[in-house]
Amino acid sequence: MQIKVNDLSYIYSENSKDLYYKALNNLNLTIEEGDFFGIIGHTGSGKSTFIQHLNGLIGLQKDRGSIVIGDFDLSDKKCDYRALRSKIGMVFQYSEYQLFAETVFEDVAFGVKNFFKGITEKETEELVKNALTMVGFDYTVIKDKSPFELSGGQKRRVAIAGVIVTKPEILILDEPLVGLDPKGKGEFISLLKNMHGKDVKTIIIISHDMNFICENCNRVAVFSKGKIFKEGTPKEVFNNGEELISLGLELPLTAYLENGLKKCGITVESDLSVEDFVSSYTKRYKGDKV
Amino acid sequence: MKDITFGQYFPAKSFVHSLNASVKILLTIAFIVAVFLVNQYYFLGFALCFLFILITTAFAKIPFTKLLSSVRAVVFIVVFSAVLQVFFNKTGKVVFSWRFIKITDAGVYTAIYITVRILLIVIGASLLTYTTSPVEIADGLEFLLYPLKVIRFPVHEFALIMSIALRFIPTLMNETGRIIKAQKARGADFESGNIFKRAKALIPVLIPLLISAFRRADELADAMDARCYAGSKKRTKYKKATFSFRDAIGFITLGGLIAGVVLLNGFFGVIV
Repeated sequence: MQIKVNDLSYIYSENSKDLYYKALNNLNLTIEEGDFFGIIGHTGSGKSTFIQHLNGLIGLQKDRGSIVIGDFDLSDKKCDYRALRSKIGMVFQYSEYQLFAETVFEDVAFGVKNFFKGITEKETEELVKNALTMVGFDYTVIKDKSPFELSGGQKRRVAIAGVIVTKPEILILDEPLVGLDPKGKGEFISLLKNMHGKDVKTIIIISHDMNFICENCNRVAVFSKGKIFKEGTPKEVFNNGEELISLGLELPLTAYLENGLKKCGITVESDLSVEDFVSSYTKRYKGDKV
Repeated sequence: MKDITFGQYFPAKSFVHSLNASVKILLTIAFIVAVFLVNQYYFLGFALCFLFILITTAFAKIPFTKLLSSVRAVVFIVVFSAVLQVFFNKTGKVVFSWRFIKITDAGVYTAIYITVRILLIVIGASLLTYTTSPVEIADGLEFLLYPLKVIRFPVHEFALIMSIALRFIPTLMNETGRIIKAQKARGADFESGNIFKRAKALIPVLIPLLISAFRRADELADAMDARCYAGSKKRTKYKKATFSFRDAIGFITLGGLIAGVVLLNGFFGVIV
């Protein structure tokens, strides 16, 4: 499913003088099927408001643009939000705090029971087992545990299993890496990579971790003041670092390195992924020596 | 849920804002007394109370629309009690009857009387919360309850519990919104089904909310421990409440209001 957003605006507290806030301002964006799409931007740039539009948690305001996702036209009053939400999984920030059931199994099965009415116990178990295995758990060990006796990182993985269990085509994640230790983060990133293209066609991710974004996304959009400030491949977005830094954002390490080396008169051209950077730098270095 | 404005502090610099919080609490109580003193059949006392509200609001530099929004929270109670009076009060002359419904003049009078009473009290109480921050109210209460120390009532702790509770209302409201969204994204349905179904649908919201409230309470307790908080023993105040000439003006005004109400009642030959 392709996501097409046209001229989207959103205003909070329109009738209040003090609280009036234009969160989105004529935003245009197209996300293709199969994208690993990164969204970056400082706090209050409209990222969260934007992604909550995508599965109808925030409704479109009248005459403030349109969103079309596959066959769903969100500006249509008759749009079936439940069907839409079963296709678009959404993992919120600190998703571990949304767990509620007595066992991990029940919590993960929550979405299944909501979206697929009349599904058999056996099919449910199959789906839950799949999801829990996908996020790296041993199903038989974890299924009867209480979600509250797990560690923070484990809870988050359970929460994500609870979202991907209904096999959404698009997975949206709002800062999923915050608060994970390096090991948990590494595991999480490889989990996303494994899912992408197979279980989930499109991944949209908000993150402040530029290294992660640069390394994994094929497209990146920079949000600022409710608009798209810049959009393109990581290379295109991070190449002119100055303007991003002026927006209060960071660059990936490889971009800093390229800029620094450039100042010393060494030009390294890479797509800013660590692997490509290392190989083109070694080439250049060895080339100089010879 | 964002429409609940009853009890929200409206920061401004004004005469009313600058009054001592304990004085304002006392004045609010006095105002409620004045409203209750107004006799059932002579509403002029209400006019006086209303005038007092208008003047205070003007002095507090609060927009008059705020008064209306404070009333919104109690509309249901007001309408409910008025309807009860109109339809079920059987005293007085019957002014309207249709089949089994009999409406009496006393019923209508009492309905209006109760409506005005509740509205005035709510507006009066919200004037207190509009002009006094929750922390100030808690401090003011602590001061007022101080005499209870004699019977070993933990006044300071009580005030602290209150101000913490008030402080966490907006936080928990935000949290609720967040959790509702997260469960909606997983297909939760809060809008359809009968009342039992809807109540059951709230479980996935209430449990995470409860857990996060406990977590916050734990964290707060740890933070207070880490700063060696030890209850009321030898604590000094960062903001010392003082009494001034302004507070005297407040007392005099309200004294005038009560006297006015009593006089108006007496003027019509009714002894309260």
